Amino acid sequence: MTITNVDGKSWLISQAELEAWLDSISNARTLIAPRQVSGTMLYRPVASIDEIAWYAGTPGSSPDNLPLLSVKEIFFPPTERLFKIQKTGQEIHLEEAYPEWETVVFGVRPCDARGVKLLDALFLDTNPVDSYYARRRANTTLIGLACKEAGPTCFCSSVGGAPDDARDMDIMLYETDAGYLAEAVTEKGRFLIPAGEWRETTSRSGPTPCMEQFPVPENGKWPEHFNDAYWARMSERCLSCRACAYVCPTCHCFAIRDELIGPGEFERIRCWDSCAGENYRRVAGGHRARPEKAERLRNRFFCKFYYYAGQTGLGNTSACTGCGRCIDVCPAGVDITEVLLDLGKPA
Amino acid sequence: MNANPLVPYLGRLVEVCDLASEIKLFRVEMQNGGGAAFESFQPGQFAFVSAFGLGEAPFGIANATGRGPLVDFAVARLGSVTTGLHELGVGDQLGVRGPLGNSFPMDKFKGKDLVVLGGGIGGAPLRPVIQHVLDHRRDYGKLTILWAARQPSLLIFTDEYAEWQAASDTSLHLTVDKPEEGWEHSVGLITQLLEEVDPSRENAIAVTCGPPVMIRNVTKMLAGMGFAAGDSYVTLEARMHCGLGKCGRCNLGEKLVCVDGPVFNMAEVGNLLEAY
Repeated sequence: MTITNVDGKSWLISQAELEAWLDSISNARTLIAPRQVSGTMLYRPVASIDEIAWYAGTPGSSPDNLPLLSVKEIFFPPTERLFKIQKTGQEIHLEEAYPEWETVVFGVRPCDARGVKLLDALFLDTNPVDSYYARRRANTTLIGLACKEAGPTCFCSSVGGAPDDARDMDIMLYETDAGYLAEAVTEKGRFLIPAGEWRETTSRSGPTPCMEQFPVPENGKWPEHFNDAYWARMSERCLSCRACAYVCPTCHCFAIRDELIGPGEFERIRCWDSCAGENYRRVAGGHRARPEKAERLRNRFFCKFYYYAGQTGLGNTSACTGCGRCIDVCPAGVDITEVLLDLGKPA
Repeated sequence: MNANPLVPYLGRLVEVCDLASEIKLFRVEMQNGGGAAFESFQPGQFAFVSAFGLGEAPFGIANATGRGPLVDFAVARLGSVTTGLHELGVGDQLGVRGPLGNSFPMDKFKGKDLVVLGGGIGGAPLRPVIQHVLDHRRDYGKLTILWAARQPSLLIFTDEYAEWQAASDTSLHLTVDKPEEGWEHSVGLITQLLEEVDPSRENAIAVTCGPPVMIRNVTKMLAGMGFAAGDSYVTLEARMHCGLGKCGRCNLGEKLVCVDGPVFNMAEVGNLLEAY
């Protein structure tokens, strides 16, 4: 397991203690946790801990191992207001809108926390800082839950992650036979732990679930695959539906537009977008930089495994966290692991 | 830039004039913090202009600093934002976000001949280059302007041709694809004009902007004429939404047009994985 413990302390808590703790958190702050919404598991605010959808392998579990959308949506929502616009005659008044609430997210999977860390590289660490993302990030504490078992499409360990990777959490919980082992990873996390109430332990978490690992081409190897005929073949399946980008923990493309909200009142919003869309790159006059589906599919893979790390100074890092969601949602069977395996094969 | 660079400065339209058919020039007086932000933008930089309620779009800034406090934008009416902008009049407020992107290395160009090739509305971001050279005439060598449009009614900055031609060591060459009655200049593509004018590539820099197909053909011809890739500059367009390297919409391979560009030389563009 990956230990990134901030104070060297570990606690062992029961399910009841965990629930009591989450309950007290939800009294003072917004608690977001996996919740069933019309049959779909999503990270959503929970009014009471009874609403929490415990993952597979935990008491009262649902069959899902991951919410449909990643925690990305908490920091970078599908649609958010940037500011309000009031038009009175020739005069314009802008009213900036920023999120201010304090939030705790429970049940974050390591692949999702990795995704947040990867988005930090763009929205926080690459100038200029994104004001909206930064506020949400500063006001949010992540309580992680290590994966006891790998889901059918999980492959985090092939892209630098691990089912019990705690490094991107504020607090990490590991399920053991004796209860939950809890550790603070950051100072922000330590602040939330009721040290006086919990039992300290010297034990460590249970065994890491086994995952099959496969080789992913290093970032520097990607350019040589740019002109491969492979992309045209693979893209025959792609429907340009963009579902892969929306469920991805690190896809970050967005559009900005104005919407009417009342007489003389508008809001400027940004919303998720995806390079898979046909008109995504259309410029004035109608020219499209990537008219072919193969070019758009290729762009998404190149962004994940080559462009993004270069643009954000991450070096030889994958912007894929191995969550497997894009495989789960693709209606046409485009499988990111199949692509990685194909490209990794000796020519 | 604003503390939150996604929030535009307000500006007031102090002058609107027709540049060409469906193309208007907007002259904006920046308000609040915008005046300071736009005090010293560089030729080649761009900004987002908001038609509030309809959205914003990126435009190359169309004038050089040092000619007064106003910021110029040439806007062709093509989509909803540009249509909204065309409906604005003197006194109306709009939003301006920037200045953004890199710029033409005008210092590096000093002492060199400049060949400026503009096609259609693509000439707009080259006007600051022309103005800068004219305003610092002794710093630069011969200025050769090749200016093109589909038809005479689409040629921009026609009112300024006299000024350009009157400047020392400066020549202007015009061409259109489809001439109209009374047209006295060249007919044909800008590549034909380039062949005819045949500017010297000794100690010379070429600067090109226009539709992608024109940029491709012109830069190819320039290379064939002997312009080194590092001496052939372009400014590229992409329908970016943030201009800050975040929204991801303007990548050409590993480069982002908004923060790595919009100005590139062909040595840089030639190494990109993707063509523009």
